[in-house]
Amino acid sequence: MDPDQQLRNLRDFLLVYNRMTEICFQRCTSNFNYRNLTMDEEHCVDSCAGKLIRSNHRLMGTYVQLMPRMVQRRVEEMESKATENAKAAASASVMPPVTEASSASQTTITSSPPPQIPGLLAADAGPEARGSLSKPAGLDIPVELDAAVFNPNLALTYKLIVLEVFFFWICHKM
Amino acid sequence: MDPMKAQQLAAELEVEMMADMYNRMTNACHRKCVPPHYKEPELTKGESVCLDRCVAKYLDLHEKLGRKLTELSVQDEEMMRKAAVGSGH
Repeated sequence: MDPDQQLRNLRDFLLVYNRMTEICFQRCTSNFNYRNLTMDEEHCVDSCAGKLIRSNHRLMGTYVQLMPRMVQRRVEEMESKATENAKAAASASVMPPVTEASSASQTTITSSPPPQIPGLLAADAGPEARGSLSKPAGLDIPVELDAAVFNPNLALTYKLIVLEVFFFWICHKM
Repeated sequence: MDPMKAQQLAAELEVEMMADMYNRMTNACHRKCVPPHYKEPELTKGESVCLDRCVAKYLDLHEKLGRKLTELSVQDEEMMRKAAVGSGH
């Protein structure tokens, strides 16, 4: 795992830690007659900590289960759109004025993929989105890109996203 | 990534998290100790004492939770390792 990812994980973990402290403090402390935590408050804090950590684990497990299905649906949508674009490009390139048709097909190809790729990457939830938000900006589709090259890239992107979520879950421990 | 840079990043992260904790603590203690009546600008003695104790409790709680978190995450790690070893055979 690259150090950026590790740093992001650590940052997330520490934020969750702070939030947990705030929540448990709000719910559990009521007795300000003493400086130390009373027995009741300590017991409440123990239960609060256990509950929050276990609920976080469960949430993560369910999320990891459901997310790939969402991503798969998005990928299928994009693939079907890509095949449609390929057909449109093929029919457009058959037309007589070669230069005009080529520029038209190029513009159709360049205009349609960019909105789809941010959509695919936006299917990642919060933690992933931070890392992947930089991708749409850098992912300037080259003018020569055709649909035949586009589809294998989609499958690879899908696999990468699933792997990323899986590693995030395993290494996050929360 | 060289250790110096890693250390520096860790220190920056720690500072940021301390600041975040401080903000949450001030919000929580204000909500707990200062009722929104606002009849006079001075803090009453009760409110001042409450704020002192609130800070002490919050920091105590923060420390306890940190220990509990590391304890549970160590347990989790062992469990996963055992599961991995078990499934490997």
